[in-house]
Amino acid sequence: MWKILKIAQREYLDVVKTKTFILSILMTPAIIGIVIFFSSRTQRSITGPQPPRKVVIADLTNQLTDDIKDSFEQHNKSNPQRQILLQEILTDSSATGTGSDEPVKQKVRDGQLNAYFVLDKDSVEGTGKILSFTRSTKIIDLDLISNVENLLNSAIFNRRCKLKDVSQELLAQISELRRRVPNEIIDIGSASEQKRIKKGEQIAKTMASFFFMFMMFMGIFGMGQHMLTSVIEEKNSRVIEVLLSAVSPFELMTGKILGLAGISLTVMSLWSAAAIGTAYYGAAHWWNITLELPIGILPYFVIYFILGFLLFSSILAGIGSICNTLKEAQSLMMPISFIFILPMITWFNLVQNPDGLLARVLSFVPPLTPIIMTLRLAATPAPSFLEVLASIILLAVSVPVVLWAAAKIFRTGVLMYGKRPGLWEVLRWLRQS
Amino acid sequence: MDALIMENVSKSFGEVLAVNELSVRVPTGSVYGFLGPNGAGKTTTIRMIMNIIRPDSGQIKIFENGAGLRRGQATNRIGYMPEERGLYRKMKVGKVLAYFGAIKGLARVELGQRVTQWLQQVELADWANKKVEELSRGMHQKLQFAVTAINEPDLLILDEPFSGLDPVNQDLLKDIICRMRDEGKTILFSTHVMHEAERLCDFILLINKGKAVLNGRLDDIRSRYKSGAVSVELEGDTSFIRTLPMVKRTESQGRRMEISLSANADPQELLKVLVGQVRVKAFEVKMPSLHEIFVRLVGRDNVEDS
Repeated sequence: MWKILKIAQREYLDVVKTKTFILSILMTPAIIGIVIFFSSRTQRSITGPQPPRKVVIADLTNQLTDDIKDSFEQHNKSNPQRQILLQEILTDSSATGTGSDEPVKQKVRDGQLNAYFVLDKDSVEGTGKILSFTRSTKIIDLDLISNVENLLNSAIFNRRCKLKDVSQELLAQISELRRRVPNEIIDIGSASEQKRIKKGEQIAKTMASFFFMFMMFMGIFGMGQHMLTSVIEEKNSRVIEVLLSAVSPFELMTGKILGLAGISLTVMSLWSAAAIGTAYYGAAHWWNITLELPIGILPYFVIYFILGFLLFSSILAGIGSICNTLKEAQSLMMPISFIFILPMITWFNLVQNPDGLLARVLSFVPPLTPIIMTLRLAATPAPSFLEVLASIILLAVSVPVVLWAAAKIFRTGVLMYGKRPGLWEVLRWLRQS
Repeated sequence: MDALIMENVSKSFGEVLAVNELSVRVPTGSVYGFLGPNGAGKTTTIRMIMNIIRPDSGQIKIFENGAGLRRGQATNRIGYMPEERGLYRKMKVGKVLAYFGAIKGLARVELGQRVTQWLQQVELADWANKKVEELSRGMHQKLQFAVTAINEPDLLILDEPFSGLDPVNQDLLKDIICRMRDEGKTILFSTHVMHEAERLCDFILLINKGKAVLNGRLDDIRSRYKSGAVSVELEGDTSFIRTLPMVKRTESQGRRMEISLSANADPQELLKVLVGQVRVKAFEVKMPSLHEIFVRLVGRDNVEDS
């Protein structure tokens, strides 16, 4: 046991003390931080000040000029950050006949105008439409179009009221009567205490479940890679023969797994502490939501991590032991990497449907179990206890099987040089005592 | 008592028979040399003893308990230095030594003391805080030896321990090996340089093409293959020597004279005769060198590269 711990300790210090490792520990959260910073900046720019938009309106009804101007003025007064400049109102006389408004459309094409609107002749009395011309339909332009449409509609409404002789007082009364009732969504889910849910909190919850899944993914898949490098390096430098004259292959492999698990735990604790700290600070100071992280899943997280890491790193130890170069190992890693990328590709689907068929099936693919189950435990609805238990048992049963096979491959493979053994040869090793 | 027993061990790689029916007994407390040209099967034999590769047939027993190393079994009683040297290049010299000492079962209190002691023995004390990759080839070799021997194992197995060392460091290593032998340790090493073995070994195994050519106590082998020649330096009239019945032939080599004795003649008798008639300044019973014996046994054509 002392030997195993010594090996683990050396493995741990060997990786942790390198500059590249310290850099990579700092880089990953830094990159994520930069991405979050920029995406929140663009978010703010949607609500923040925008350059004024220029539009031209062709009023074929010939009676709305004043009302349109009124409603635009009102809009610009109450929305100083999103000015809509009404450059010109064309009337029937200047815009009838096909192609006579071609210069205006050309301005839209050239980008001098953001949009051009045409009000049909019987828009006030009958069933005429509003036609909008834009150059490229970006989301932000759709915003402008719906804004202008609202303004035109309120102008038409005002005009209709005037035509029907509706008094200003009555209008004011009607708009007072039409005030909206604010709503709140209340989750009566599992807790007896009913909670009010803000939209931001819902998003935070989704992100939290993704965060836990990502942590598990990095902790197992990202850190497990060190196993390959470590085994192949020792093989190449022939240290392995000296090592194996002092310790058994199983002790060596176990020591390596423990050391790397220690590295993984170090990285995860650092990242989690930083992320959770930031999240609580952000929730209180920036987003104004109460953040409730699913801290209750922590024991499960630890169980799944330990089992998952054992499983994955022993697979890698087996692979590393039969390869002579990192390149050889990487080609063997391809299918395994693909399996591991699967939850990352489908995470959105998984988050939205944590009890869907895909999530349930992937929960029972042993190398993926920790990743998928972490996500499901952090999301709602949570998986049933029976499912959690079944997945842990399946994982716990597959770990000794894989460990046993990996140890057999490891002790033979690690002393073999030259040509990489084929699948049949490796299977033969498994049958040997 | 034997530290190692090999019985009829064979190993082939594909069509090539690397080791052919080899049997050896290595007595405890001896220095045993595995000799032979490159490609003779020395390293294969050592790797089989270390259970890195498995013999196709035959038995290997280590220590008196009568069992070989099981695959995957390690013991702190054996120190092994492989032919291809390898240590963690990025680690510091002292740390590497301490690490291997620790995994070879040295307790913490003892460890620091042993590290200092061994660094001094291989004259690397000034390099303790340098990285392994900064060492020269010879220094690396000495560190590798210290790593092998740090826990003072009962059986040291060294594959070509002297290659890459200058004469001064070769002597340093030989002194350490002799000291360990005197302490009762058993040392088994391989080399393709015959005269290295000649000065160090109690026993030798001479291998060529996987087969044992010679095996046994070095002194016995030499006297078995002695040429029956004596080299002398004398003062006085030496003409009578040629007429002695035990003398076959004499040959003058300047001040020295080489006397070939007839079969079954005892050099001691010759000395007695000589002492009575002339002044004997030097008297040496000529022993054949291992190289000569080897060449005589397998023929120059069969020695590929010695």
